[in-house]
Amino acid sequence: MTSTSRTSIAALPRGHELERSDFALLREQVDAYLRATGDATIYGSAVPPLAILALALTALQAQIWLPKGSLHTGQEVEHVREVDTGDPLTLTGRIAQRSERQGYVISVIELEVSTSDGVALRARTTIMAPGGGA
Amino acid sequence: MTGLVQPVVREITQSQIDAYAAASGDDNPIHVDPAFAATTPFGGTIAHGMLVLALIGEMMHDAHGEAWRNSGRLKVRFKAPTRAGDTVTASATPSKPSDGTQEYAVQCANQHGEILIEGRASVSEDGRRRPSSS
Repeated sequence: MTSTSRTSIAALPRGHELERSDFALLREQVDAYLRATGDATIYGSAVPPLAILALALTALQAQIWLPKGSLHTGQEVEHVREVDTGDPLTLTGRIAQRSERQGYVISVIELEVSTSDGVALRARTTIMAPGGGA
Repeated sequence: MTGLVQPVVREITQSQIDAYAAASGDDNPIHVDPAFAATTPFGGTIAHGMLVLALIGEMMHDAHGEAWRNSGRLKVRFKAPTRAGDTVTASATPSKPSDGTQEYAVQCANQHGEILIEGRASVSEDGRRRPSSS
């Protein structure tokens, strides 16, 4: 993953393009996710779609930090194609919406996770962050 | 297409929240620092939204398997916090299939019947993507 300086999500304007991240999900990362969620399903080599999203959001933390008191208030996700552990993945995204209300900044991040075959997952994540963190 | 979606019921413990924080890298103190969390309006630690949402992902995958991984869609709002010690039930109510797609109203509720997550899920009967409608 490419490193960059981190910026509070509350400070990012609408239209801000996130830096592309290249990453892969290792078996041990997926296993740790499944243990944490308590999911005993046998997925084989496939990565559970919400694990892709959760770990993509982890990758985003190299660029964005969330001020104390930030809340995840909404989530949309579309699974387009299966991802296997170890597949090279690319994460792209942008701030699709930004508004302010009662001292909080509400940001919608649009994300795409792609494999070499094309888009694997699309997501829209809504975060409400204290404006003072900007 | 299976179509029968069985509820998933799980207690969300602080150790599980801590494990999810480690797996996801999201160590926001509202999740993992009881002293800080006690000073917030929540009065204590709360689970990551994605940790609770994982129960819906698991439930839908159990019913639809590969079709869910390749064509599942979720759109949810996080309506209320999930506290350490809550027992969460994820459930789905199917609607009439349309255009080869099965839709569900999905939710997570705690032991008091409080809705924590609410939204919609859909999956293509043949596991192939349909053109996006939103």
